[in-house]
This record gives sequence, C-alpha cells and structure tokens, in this order.
Amino acid sequence: MFGIFTYRKPINYIILINLLAYTYIFYNMKLYKFDTLALGFGVILLLCTAYCIILKGRLGDEYLFLIVSMLLSIGIIMIYRLDNGIGIRQAVWMAIGIAMFILSCQIFRWFKRWEQLAVYYMVAAVFLYLITLIFGRNINGATNWIIIKGQSFQPLEISKILYIFFLACYFRKPDRLFFENSKYTKPMKLRLNRMTLVGFTFLNIGFLMLQREWGSIILISLIYIVVLYVFGKDKLFYFFNVVFAIPIALFGYFFVHHIKVRIDTWLNPWADIAGKGYQITQSLFAISSGGYFGTGIGLGRPDLVPAVNTDFIFSAICEEMGVLTGVAVILLYMMLTYRGLKIVIKVRNGFNKVLGFGITTMLGLQTFIIIGGVIKLIPLTGITLPYISYGGSSLLSSFVILGILQAISKDDFADMDGEINEGE
Amino acid sequence: MKENKKIIKVLIVICSLFLILVGYLTYIQIFESKEMVQNSYNRRQYQADETTIRGKIFDRNGTVLVYNEEKDNEQQRIYPYGSLYSHVIGYNSKVYGRSLLEASYNNYLLGLDEYTKVFGLFISTDKDKKEGNSLSLTIDHELQKLAHELLGERNGAVVAMNPKTGEILCLVSKPDFDTNEESLTKNWKAMVESQQSPFLPRATQGLYAPGSTFKIVTAAAVIENGLDGLKFNDKGVITIDGKKISNSKGKANGDTDLKKALAVSSNVVFAQLGVKLGQEKLTEMSNKVCFGSDIPFDIPVSKSLFPYHEMEQNDMAAAAIGQGKILVSPLHMAMITSGIANDGVIMKPFLVNSIASSTGKKIKSIKPVEFKQIMEQEVAIKVKKMMQEVVENGTAKNAAIDGVKVAGKTGTAENELTSQKKNKEHAWFVGFAPVENPQIAVAVVLEYSGSSGGSIAAPIAQKVMAEYLSKLREK
Repeated sequence: MFGIFTYRKPINYIILINLLAYTYIFYNMKLYKFDTLALGFGVILLLCTAYCIILKGRLGDEYLFLIVSMLLSIGIIMIYRLDNGIGIRQAVWMAIGIAMFILSCQIFRWFKRWEQLAVYYMVAAVFLYLITLIFGRNINGATNWIIIKGQSFQPLEISKILYIFFLACYFRKPDRLFFENSKYTKPMKLRLNRMTLVGFTFLNIGFLMLQREWGSIILISLIYIVVLYVFGKDKLFYFFNVVFAIPIALFGYFFVHHIKVRIDTWLNPWADIAGKGYQITQSLFAISSGGYFGTGIGLGRPDLVPAVNTDFIFSAICEEMGVLTGVAVILLYMMLTYRGLKIVIKVRNGFNKVLGFGITTMLGLQTFIIIGGVIKLIPLTGITLPYISYGGSSLLSSFVILGILQAISKDDFADMDGEINEGE
Repeated sequence: MKENKKIIKVLIVICSLFLILVGYLTYIQIFESKEMVQNSYNRRQYQADETTIRGKIFDRNGTVLVYNEEKDNEQQRIYPYGSLYSHVIGYNSKVYGRSLLEASYNNYLLGLDEYTKVFGLFISTDKDKKEGNSLSLTIDHELQKLAHELLGERNGAVVAMNPKTGEILCLVSKPDFDTNEESLTKNWKAMVESQQSPFLPRATQGLYAPGSTFKIVTAAAVIENGLDGLKFNDKGVITIDGKKISNSKGKANGDTDLKKALAVSSNVVFAQLGVKLGQEKLTEMSNKVCFGSDIPFDIPVSKSLFPYHEMEQNDMAAAAIGQGKILVSPLHMAMITSGIANDGVIMKPFLVNSIASSTGKKIKSIKPVEFKQIMEQEVAIKVKKMMQEVVENGTAKNAAIDGVKVAGKTGTAENELTSQKKNKEHAWFVGFAPVENPQIAVAVVLEYSGSSGGSIAAPIAQKVMAEYLSKLREK
C-alpha cells in the first residue's frame, strides 16, 4: 500500500495534474462552482478505475492507456476552461468512450472471424457514405454530420476504421482476397484483386471529396500508401501508386477551387487576415501569445480562435499552458505511435498485424496533419486531434481503435518478457 | 522479418514528422512570435484595454499628464497637454497601436505585470472594471513646458537630466503632434507623408553630427593621453592631407593651448590633436563614451555612430572636431555631458520614477544606478574647468547665469545640407550647472537652423538651467 504515492508510477502524474488543474480552475476563475471539483474527481476516478481493470484483467499493454489518459486529461481541462458545459459533456463522452474501449477490446478478442468479413466492411462503408450524402447536415463547411434525435455524429469516423479493417483483410495474404475460387487465370486474379483495392480506395476518396473532408482524404491516402509500402509484395505496383498520386494532387490544386484556396492561405495567410486567413492567423496569435510557459489556465484569450474546442484545441493548449506543454503533447503522441508499432512488430497473425499497423499510423498521421495545420507547417485541413479535441464521435471511434490495439497487444504480450509486471 | 524492418522505417519517419512539429513550434516562438503578437489583427492587445481603466501617468510633482475617461461606455485616453508629451509618453490608440512609454509600460498600465497578476489574484474588488497601475515620471512638467515654448516653431530637441542620478528632467522633441485619438485620426495621413517627419522622437532617435560639442570628448582623450601640455600656433586655417580645415569665420587665435582651444572652439588645434591622437585612441575614446553601443532607456534610443574602420589623417581631423561620419542623439550627448559633470561616471538615464498600484501602493520604484565610467575623475575635473572657461570667456557666454558657475560647450555642425547650401548648420549646446555641485545637465540641438550654437542654442539651455536651479533654491 505504501507504493501508492511513489513517483515511479505514471498514473500518479496523471492524478496530480488533474488535481492541480481543477483546484486551480476552482479558485482562479472565480467561479467557486463545486461542479469543477466534482468533474476533477470524476475524471480521476474514471481513469484510475479503467487503469485498474487493464492491470487486473491482464488486458495487455498498460502504457497505451496511460498515454491516452494524459492526453484526455489535458483535453478535458482545456475544454472545461473554454466552456464549462461542453467540458462536462466531454467527460461524459470519455466515460462512454472508456466503456467502449473495454467493450471493443473484449469483443475483438471474443469474435474470431474478423478477417473473413471484407465484403461486409466495404458494403458498410459505402452505406455510411450514402446515408451521409442523403441525410447529411452541413456543420462548419463540411457536409458530414448526421443528426439523430438531436445528437449529431460523423459516420466518417467509422468509415475510416472500416477502411483499415478492409486493408487488414486484403493484406493478410496480399492480392489473394477475392476471386480465389473463380476460374480466372492467376495473373488475371492478381489484376482483379488489385483493381478492387485501388477501386475501393478511390471510392473512399471520392465520397470524402463530396463531403469536402480534405484532411481525411490525405489521411486515407497516406495510410494506403504506407500500408502498401510495408505489406505489399510488388515494388512496381507500389511505384505506380505513388507516381499516380502526383498528377491527381496537381489536378486537385489547379482545378478544385477549395484545395487551391487552402494552399494559397497556407503560403500567405497574412494576405487576407480578415477573411480566408482568419483561422490560421488567429491560431498563430494564440500560440505566440503564450510563450514557452503559457499565460496560465484562464488567463489567455484562446476563445478568440475559431473552432478552438475541436480543430484548434492545440493552439489553446499552447497559449494557456505554454509551447512546452504543446511539445509535451506532441511527444506523448510520439510515444503512443512508438508503443503501437512496438506491439505491431511482435504480432505474428497477419490480419492483426496489418490492422494494428493501420490504426497506429492513422493516429500518428492524423495528429501530424492537424497539429501541422494549426501551426502553419502544412496546409490546414479540418480534422480532430485524437483524444483531445471535443467531439463524441471522434472520441468514441478513437477509443474503439485503442480497444482493438489493446486487444492485439494482449495476444503476443506473453513474449514481452517481464514487461507486464513493470507497473504493478 | 522484412515487414518489421519496414515498420521500423515507418516509425522513424513518423517520429521525425513529430520532431519537425516540435522544431517548427520552437522556431515560431523564437523568431516570429514577437512580431505576430503585435499584429494589429491580434485582438488580445486591445481586449485588456476594454476591461481595464488604463493607469494614469504623473510628472515628478504629481501633475496628471495622461488619464482615462469613460465616454459612451468606451475608455478614452486623454492627453490634457496635447502634443507636449508626444515624444515621451507617446500614444495609445485602438487604430494606430501604441508607442513609447505607452508601449513599453503597457503591461504595468493595464495591470498585466507579474506583481499585479499574482497579488491581484486574491483581491476581489466590487468594481466591474479593473484598474491599472499608475506611473510617476522623473519629468518636471514646468521645465518640459518651458523648453517646449523656448523651442517654439523650430525643429530640434532639448534634453535635461540630473547628472548625479540619471533622472530625465525634460525631454522635448520638435516637431511634435497631438496624441489624442481624435486628432490622430484627423491628421494621421498628413503626418505620415510629412517631410518634417513629426513621428521621429528627435531627442532619443534623431541622429546629428555633434560638431564642436564633440570636442569635450576629444579633450578628455587628449588629457588622458598626456597631450594637454601641447601648444599650437593657430593661423585660422590648416591643411591636413590636402584637405583644408578652418576655424569659424577663419579667425586666427595665435598661440593656443588646449584650454583656450576649447574656449574659442579652435578647429585648427583640435584637428591637429586628432591626428596626434591617431585612430586607435580616438576609437577607444568613442567606444568609452558608448558610440556604437545600445543605450538602455525606458523608450527606444538610436545607437550613436562612430563608423570608421580605416581612418585617414583627414578622417582623424574631422572626427576630432565632431564632423565626418560621426552621428549622435541629443540624449546621448546629454549623457556624456552628465558623465563629465558627475566626475566621469554616467548614471543610467531613466524616465519612470515609480509605479503605484490602483490602491496607491508603490509596487516598484527605480533607484539610480551607475551606467558607465567614461573617464578618470581627474580627467573629468580638468574638462569641467575648461568647459567653465568656455562659458565665462569663450563661445558660450550666452549660457551664463548670474551667481551660478556654468560649464558648457557650443557646436555648429555641418551636415548633408550645408555642402549644397549655406546656413543649414545644426546649432548645438551642451552644458551643466552649477560646476561645483552639478544639478542639471542639458543638451540642446536646433536642426538646420543656420545659426551658431552660441547664439541660439545656448540661451535656451541657459533659461532651462536657470529655471530649474531657481526652483531648487525655493524648496
């Protein structure tokens, strides 16, 4: 029992940062609302409970969840400071998300035939795209929200996961997924399989273009190219794919007005500060106002940045908690990617390997795309920062894939000598 | 396995992408953030203005120089003396931003400084608006007004400081402009285009050839290097390296030592002394008196220039009489004079005396500190005596005050316009009083005035010094 207050347990840091932050908000923002303290304790309790379940239930790698807990804590603190109501809602989403996390982990392990459902993934993805097109509402410039009983959600988040599942099915045994029992010749089968792969990828991209989800398009294309690079057997095919992408990108720049605008505002946002460059310049103002150590929670003005709860939450973190915290957040994502890929390397099962790899690279690249966007390193595309941005569907889907990664980690965890005992 | 090797490569790429993010974030913070924070579209700067009553600014005797007034639910910054402090306090405008003291003490005026942030945390006030801290300046309002009137319509600057403490007593630059929001809006465009450049705070950022006032620096170098025993036969004109250097109006002074040379401002003698000193000693002295180095002050000051690398003999001659490429700001010249008055030590100049919170509690008060020793005490004492001679028997007789020993030096500086047209010289005077116990040091410059320093700059300094000293006596 004396081990509880040791500095050697990462969970203690998470508890400490939450305690400090909520006590500070309680006193400093002159609200004196006991909701604040209740929220703080709620968050700590939830994270600790989930952590205990992972340890006692021997669910595999514990560090995945620890890293995510830290990101979640920072996210909820920031969102709560920006808008109390939304902060509490995000905490509720987190509770549901953690439940989904454990649930998806168990279901993934319990159901053994994931690799045989390739066609269903494709059909489900297309179905989701279609209902988005038909019933979709336009929120913040992207037509990708479905509203059911006042609750909006983005089917897009699920289709991304479905796409990775599809890739996992395909690359389990590369180029032999379909037409195995048909009478075509072998080279023909190969060609047909590849056409299906490329076709389905472009179908995804096409639907996403209709929704103007440029960030997700880049994400899906990158995942496709990276997975093909690692698991594809044919160098020439890979080469063609990459070469083919270049004219498409150029076409996009010259003929699709939206893309051109995004790239132009990226190159010089100062030319139209009040208009097109408004978001990105406000974000840069926020980041530079904070300095290395930040203004302090509640003392900056991140509320001047548009969409600060979702896409631009990183700018708010930089302004109030400092660029050093921003750097820490980036390093947490780096650790998450490292941990994920470390698990993937140990996995032998082909399907799980591709799936885990796809999930981890998606988390890593998504983070890079949005953080790079808000600091003007790359053109800005609206996409959420996993585990930090506000948003139910994004948080839930992120938890589902974390659950899957957790499940994958358990399979081969026995091989990782002694690691399971490290934190106990 | 082959796949695992590729996975490791992907991991390396993703990690490098993250490190690039970290690098770029750091780059923004180091190189771009300062400029971005001040962008006029960054509303953070003005947010605090709306919720805070910006602090007042007082002169050394408690006269209110700036205050805030609420008009139609909006805070307005009122400058009751119009243009008098445009080059000291500056302006604070939603449209045009901030300048000078309003800019450099913005955090204090808005209560955003560390002290107020920390201690204000636990003070709950019932007022709906926060109040900023007030500044109390070292400026003497009466003296500032007098200097302003004495300059009249002429362009130039008057700087007065206490040589023993570094307090700036008055800091006037002309032309100036009304800093109230209304008149800024009305005149902004015309002022931006004006050839008179009214936005240039001449006292701190104007750079002028010092002319003969620089001879006090040369004289100090001469004494330091033991050349003060030399005597010259001044024939009114001398040719050095093929270049003719003559005294004012070509007057011949006959046998002349250093003391007489300074009193009559002999170019012929000082040019020869300059050549005798040589490049090394001249450069050493100019570095000692802070040419080419930053001057710490509450508002921005331009660096004075002594931009020589290789000096020819005629360069040495020109530098010794304050011509050539040498440029100096009036504030800097006042500091050098103060340094001589204060036995060789320049005190750090300052404008803000103390800062008080909205409840009247002093949160910061500035103590005089030494800035730099520019010469040995014995050297300073000798230069002082010579400068006293300048006022008593030399070119600066107009600076004399009844019953007070005054020291000074005049200057009539040639500049880029004098080579084309006559009568465009800068008129200079630097001086201090009383010699035995200096209370005030003054630098006056009238740009492109075409008159000699002794005839028009010295009387201004005389009146400023006399006024200040008589006020001191009354107390």
